[in-house]
Amino acid sequence: MTTTTLAGPRATAPARRKAAVLHAEWTKLTTLRSLWTTPLIGVLLTVGIAYAVNDAYGATDTSLTEDPSIGIYYGLNFGQVAAACFGILLIGQEYNAGTIRTSLTAVPARGRLFGAKLLLGGGIGLLAGLLSTAGSYLAAGATVDLALDSPATVRSIVAGVLYHPLLVILCLGATTMLRNLTAAMGLLSPMVFLGTTVLAAVPGVREAAQFLPDRAGQYALRHQDTAGIHYGHWTGLLIMALWAGAAAYGGLRSLRRHDA
Amino acid sequence: MIEVQGLSKSYGQTLAVDDLSFGVRPGVVTGFLGPNGAGKTTSMRMILGLDRPTAGRALIGGRPYVELADPLRQVGALLDAHAVHGGRTARGHLRWLAHSNGLPDSRVDAVLDQVGLAEVARKRIKGFSLGMRQRLGVAGALLGDPPVLLLDEPVNGLDPEGIRWIRTLLRGLAAEGRAVLVSSHLMTEMALTADHLVVIGRGRLLADASTAEFIDRHGRTRVRVRAVDPDKLSALLRGPGSDLTAEPAEGGAWEVTGAEPERIAALAAANGVVLYEIAVQRDSLEEAFMRMTADSVEYRAVAA
Repeated sequence: MTTTTLAGPRATAPARRKAAVLHAEWTKLTTLRSLWTTPLIGVLLTVGIAYAVNDAYGATDTSLTEDPSIGIYYGLNFGQVAAACFGILLIGQEYNAGTIRTSLTAVPARGRLFGAKLLLGGGIGLLAGLLSTAGSYLAAGATVDLALDSPATVRSIVAGVLYHPLLVILCLGATTMLRNLTAAMGLLSPMVFLGTTVLAAVPGVREAAQFLPDRAGQYALRHQDTAGIHYGHWTGLLIMALWAGAAAYGGLRSLRRHDA
Repeated sequence: MIEVQGLSKSYGQTLAVDDLSFGVRPGVVTGFLGPNGAGKTTSMRMILGLDRPTAGRALIGGRPYVELADPLRQVGALLDAHAVHGGRTARGHLRWLAHSNGLPDSRVDAVLDQVGLAEVARKRIKGFSLGMRQRLGVAGALLGDPPVLLLDEPVNGLDPEGIRWIRTLLRGLAAEGRAVLVSSHLMTEMALTADHLVVIGRGRLLADASTAEFIDRHGRTRVRVRAVDPDKLSALLRGPGSDLTAEPAEGGAWEVTGAEPERIAALAAANGVVLYEIAVQRDSLEEAFMRMTADSVEYRAVAA
């Protein structure tokens, strides 16, 4: 047996072990095509549709009559579904395939495993947010005359970048609470895709629906104020962050408490 | 190496594992035996820290599994060969597993070679047969070259060649000084593979003994005799002066319990009965197991 030689000199400090778990999560991502293509599709959808829309409506400068962020972030309505799916798949496919048990056998410290997933999901989400937002503004730049240094634009850009990682973390946390891929897909993707938009159209429900994570997060993207919204733009981003934080905490609790 | 101490697990009213205690020593293959639903898998999950015991604990080298640093280097486990993502390649699956415990990719290639999957290493798992998946699961267990191995039903669904491969592998790993715990409900296979047996039924420990002891204690030993003149033999064995228990078997033979073959042979010679077959027959592990579980009052009480 070579056990002693393997376990001896390489015996591990907590920091190295944390890095190893993150490395393993990265390897899980890169070895599964259905997983790593999802954020890529999200970026392509967001930017592609923003470009197509701005190309189609290029002749009309809507900046005076309407909030320009609606056109700039039009693609996000579609791209965010991929971001949500990415968050769901990060842990949902482990519950679906049963590899969650293998993962927890390899990494019995459940907080460490979940932390690595959050870090990877958040990091990839941030990268997707940067690319999507930069792409969306570039696509819109040709048709909308924007002052990039105005506080509203800066805030909208920051919110546009952060929207993606927050959504990934929200979905990752919620899926870990549900511990089931199908349930998470069934519950989260329609909510993100159309549910809250539909809810926001019902007068009575609108008051409450504006506090849902995607509604609040998207309000932070707007350049102009909307009547009837009970919070400011930055607060909208904070509300979404609170949702994501609560979901992450709920996911951690669920992973720690339940038998795998 | 593995110490299970008063381990219990209940799901609501159902007691899946009931105050289970046993040890697994290095250098031998310990068979974890019991019918389906006896609590083998639940016990193994608790040993691996996946399920939380209702009471009791399981230690590996003196520590609970969840406290092990780089557990893959200390314990190799195969729970369910189907628990793999079909979209990954065999190598991809083993690579993330290796990286989680800081093991190099060279270990991945080494175990793929060891289990005979080197040629399909870069193929997606979704095309793998059950036998190949079992081999991949074994590769994952061997990744960290661990001194302790836990395998749950590794021969399930394997063809004769695969079963033979697992048997040889497990015996080889034990011969290297590792502690090997392997669960199965296949008695004949366990009789060939395991040196020691831990038998459970309805979550309770029924026996903890070496395979030979177990068969000696719970199986019957009979002497099979055949004579040129069956009637004379019958009269001798079941006659008024005989203290033997004899039952007729097929082909005019008799199975005698309660006497050594020497005594039967001497008795036959003294009475002029010519024997042409006399052989000691022991119960198989399966027969011994069936007799023991039928005898076990507790087992029957809960089973009913």
